[in-house]
Amino acid sequence: MKTLTIVLTDGPYISEYAEIAYKLADAALKKYNVNIFLYLDGVHIPKKGQNPSVFTNAGQLFSRLAEKGVVIRACARCAGARGYTPEKDIINGSNCKDYFPGIKITSIYELSEMLSKSDRVVSLSR
Amino acid sequence: MKSVFYLLDTAPYGSEKAFGILNAATVCLNEMSVTVGLYGDGVYLAAAGQDSKKLGVPNLSDILYAYGELRVLVHEPSLVERNLFGENLIETLELTDEENFFEAMESSDCVVLL
Repeated sequence: MKTLTIVLTDGPYISEYAEIAYKLADAALKKYNVNIFLYLDGVHIPKKGQNPSVFTNAGQLFSRLAEKGVVIRACARCAGARGYTPEKDIINGSNCKDYFPGIKITSIYELSEMLSKSDRVVSLSR
Repeated sequence: MKSVFYLLDTAPYGSEKAFGILNAATVCLNEMSVTVGLYGDGVYLAAAGQDSKKLGVPNLSDILYAYGELRVLVHEPSLVERNLFGENLIETLELTDEENFFEAMESSDCVVLL
């Protein structure tokens, strides 16, 4: 099966990219293994406890993708800069207590690995 | 993918994007052929003599000097539009015209815009 990697740099709600990435990834799962790399402000997307009054909860959307097998990783430097800390223990597939299950903070070298092993790459950024 | 083209069209220091592109590009050097393309306001990153001390952020030109193996293309028409053509630029960078810039993008396996 081919692999698709999506790179996101926007946080949730400031643009539609998180929701677009969700729809792309969900549709692509029929034909692709899907990776999502969260970079820069993109690391805010999987934060637990979001309560957008008028928008779809982006964190929950990404949590659903992780449940379906999408590999979602967040850049460690970007996450640290924004207050998300990786823990040693992995609980429910995540190494960050502030993140939804299945979504991990990782080294940016994983971006390189994801890109080099991908057949298609989509970057969504303003 | 064997090659990646990172496109920067925003000025350095005004946001985290230029630093983010250089960081992502340099970590890919071991596994892929990497090109960074400076376009539009991104060409300000090509200016020599950057000093970011007062901003409290890393000097991005130091990253370019440290990774001489990183191929960086500078879109010449964008330089001209900003009166930067003929100014003192970082020596390791390549100036390219419209055609060659887009050819480099097209010939890369993927384009990542941050």
